[in-house]
Amino acid sequence: MSRPTTALRTYLITRVLLAVPMVLILLTVVFLLMRVAPGDPISAALGGRLSQEEIDRRRHEAGFDRPVIIQYAEYLGNAARFDFGTTLIDNRTVTSIIAQNGAATLELTFFALLIAVAVGVSVGLVSGRFRDTPADLAGRLFGIVAYAAPVFFLGFLAQLVFGKWLGWLPTSGRASPIVSYELESRTNLFVVDSIISADWDSLIDVLEHLVMPATVLGLVIGGVFIRLIRVNVLQTMKGDYVEAARSRGLPERSVVWKHAFKNALVPVITVMGLQVALLVSGAVLTEQTFNWPGIGSELVRYLNNRDYIAVQGIITFAGLVVVVVSLLIDILNAWVDPRVRY
Amino acid sequence: MRKTWWRHVGVVAVLALVAAACGGDEEGGGGDGEQPAPADVTIIHGTTDSIVSLDPAGSYDLGSWQIINNVMEGLLTIPAGGNQPEPALAESCDFDDPQTYTCTLKQDVTFHDGSPFTAEDVVFSLERNINLDDPNGACSLLGSLAPCAEWDAASVEAVDDSTVTFHLAAPDATWPFILTTPAAYIVPSETYPADALQPDDQMVGTGPYSMAEFRAGEQIVLEANPDFHGEAPANERVIVTYFDRSSALKLAIEQGEVDVAWRTMTPTDISDLEGAEGVEVLTGPGAEIRYLVFNLDFEPGSELAVRQAVAQTIDRQAIAENVYNGTVEPLYSMVPTTYAGHTDAFAEMYGETPDPEAATQTLADAGIETPVELEIWWTPTHYGDLSADEYAEIKRSLEDSGLFSVTLESTEWDQYSEAAFTDQYPVYQLGWFPDYLDADNYVTSFYSSESFLNVHYENKEVDDLLAQQKASTDQAEREQIFEQIQQIAAEDVPIIPVWQGSQVAVIRDGVSGAEETLDAAYIFRYWLVGKSA
Repeated sequence: MSRPTTALRTYLITRVLLAVPMVLILLTVVFLLMRVAPGDPISAALGGRLSQEEIDRRRHEAGFDRPVIIQYAEYLGNAARFDFGTTLIDNRTVTSIIAQNGAATLELTFFALLIAVAVGVSVGLVSGRFRDTPADLAGRLFGIVAYAAPVFFLGFLAQLVFGKWLGWLPTSGRASPIVSYELESRTNLFVVDSIISADWDSLIDVLEHLVMPATVLGLVIGGVFIRLIRVNVLQTMKGDYVEAARSRGLPERSVVWKHAFKNALVPVITVMGLQVALLVSGAVLTEQTFNWPGIGSELVRYLNNRDYIAVQGIITFAGLVVVVVSLLIDILNAWVDPRVRY
Repeated sequence: MRKTWWRHVGVVAVLALVAAACGGDEEGGGGDGEQPAPADVTIIHGTTDSIVSLDPAGSYDLGSWQIINNVMEGLLTIPAGGNQPEPALAESCDFDDPQTYTCTLKQDVTFHDGSPFTAEDVVFSLERNINLDDPNGACSLLGSLAPCAEWDAASVEAVDDSTVTFHLAAPDATWPFILTTPAAYIVPSETYPADALQPDDQMVGTGPYSMAEFRAGEQIVLEANPDFHGEAPANERVIVTYFDRSSALKLAIEQGEVDVAWRTMTPTDISDLEGAEGVEVLTGPGAEIRYLVFNLDFEPGSELAVRQAVAQTIDRQAIAENVYNGTVEPLYSMVPTTYAGHTDAFAEMYGETPDPEAATQTLADAGIETPVELEIWWTPTHYGDLSADEYAEIKRSLEDSGLFSVTLESTEWDQYSEAAFTDQYPVYQLGWFPDYLDADNYVTSFYSSESFLNVHYENKEVDDLLAQQKASTDQAEREQIFEQIQQIAAEDVPIIPVWQGSQVAVIRDGVSGAEETLDAAYIFRYWLVGKSA
């Protein structure tokens, strides 16, 4: 017993230690990319209004012309203390951006993931079960189109059909402005806050705003799940234990749903975690399309304003989330599957 | 008996209807429909602008100033539809001499936090702005008091609790206009820190609205100030909602998710909305301009004849119609048409439409061979996505004359904003947005030998005229001087004005009062906007 436990411990420790240089590389790459690109917040905002001399003076006062290595050391030191800095253009702490806007992204991505799983599992299962039938073909096609279509294209289409033509759903924002103002905010998660407050009108309003962006983003991720579930179902249906179940005279429905399906789902858990990166990047485009005030929207805004402190902070946070989730998935995999070892 | 009973009910019902129809309206925003009381009205205002800082010492952008203009006040303001400063927090202001300006303050005015407004707050606010010297701030507008970071305690004197005297470093006739800008707005000395910016969610002013909620990047909620010393707003509450893209704002106004959309939608969006159901497109005079700059150290732009020939050939009308769908108008002076002192100097000198024959003669007289090789720079996004089309149109009109061969070059604003002012581009695109509503902001900024443009244009006569108009408090005299400056500028042509933008707001049916605020001051005065049921 001690040898497998030691091997698992070795794996876990190694994975955690490997995360450190990963994070350091991420921080360095983000820092360098932002410094190498031309421009700064002052030039971006006031270029063309003030003389170059005045702009240079303000840049000097703000410390933008300090040696890069000094700025890098300061940046790393702050990151080590989880101080991601204060934005240059509007004096917000990156921590507050993560808290406020991060909650909006979390809400969007959570519901998108639910939709992705619901759509991916159901369509993938049907496709796998009824292989090479029209249902399988439709499912596969749907998965490819959903995955390949740019999320902003799907978003615009949804806004046009469900917002403009049919008038069923609102086209932007997390909630109506008045609801957003009057809803008592405890968690910054509007769905949760409206349930806690038992404010059912607000809940309906919030869900109406959430449906389109979450579905659009969820469909894109769902396209990945469809293909994965289908392949897994096909493989498990060929498995020995499935043959054994059939030979014991179990009904086909029971063979598929009780035996093959459950085993087909196991790798999905791993893939779900790995899709976090796709979710985060997809969220940026989705938030832009639906004017959803998440960290993706803020990232774009700060990029456009050349606020490299804000961009560094947000990307570092997003990168850390992906690193941590990947680490947790690897640990879970190692715990479940004894073959996963160094 | 039964018939009699119903008759009684019928009569009572009719009387009730008559009484309701004759009942007076509560004062609302004006409009033809039933007007709810302002207490019932919330205006949802959508915009693509963003906030830098809601502290007057920390901002120099339209998005921030828009909110500041509705929550705070200065000693003077530009009223709706007007173009001259009028008292706001001041009871009256006047020049004692060209370098001394005294204001008597209004009495019994309080800030939103209940603290009284006094002369001490005026001194504090201006001193603070200059000392903070925030990189995003507009302390440079207060240069007549002191340079940024170098406050001069003698420059602003609180004579008593209700009198303030400004001792200007040099005669400055524009000083009253400077006092109308948020750079000079008044903050409470009891609340605002002297050495740091006030957090955006804690802004305090004396204006018609106080801040009720601030969600960065999402929305700001303003509530009507019940103790406001001026005219009460036509609504109870304004929710300013921020959009990342103009397409999202357009959808929102179409769908009724916002009541008003102001800044910034594309000309295509606006054209589309003009036929849309449930909305109305309002236009008003603007002061935003675009112009073409020649760096006089580069050939061939250093040749006067070349610049004049370009002025004679450029087709402003085609740009206004083909590129901007009529949402801009041709501009024939660097001073917008909405400003006192404007003249169409370029039209008078070079004509309103292209005149290739005159341009040919101009070049021939100067002995310049054609086609003239011209390299023109522009930037893709900072001045709007239609810059590419605009400069393609400029290239077309110049080359159609047979006199020019134009090479267009472009780069993103990050590089462009530095290169344009450091002698790297021979001819290039720029734009301007007013700081204050005086023609000085459009002539001194561009034609002074110390202009931020750094194009090496120096004309002593112009410098003298600029100093003269700034030192004169006689508006008629100043306008005459502005005319002279525009005349010389048209002769020398270091810059060619191209177009002036109109202001556009889109409102939902039932919204009223918005048209009153569309003027060259570029302040959207929420307090004028009402909404019928």
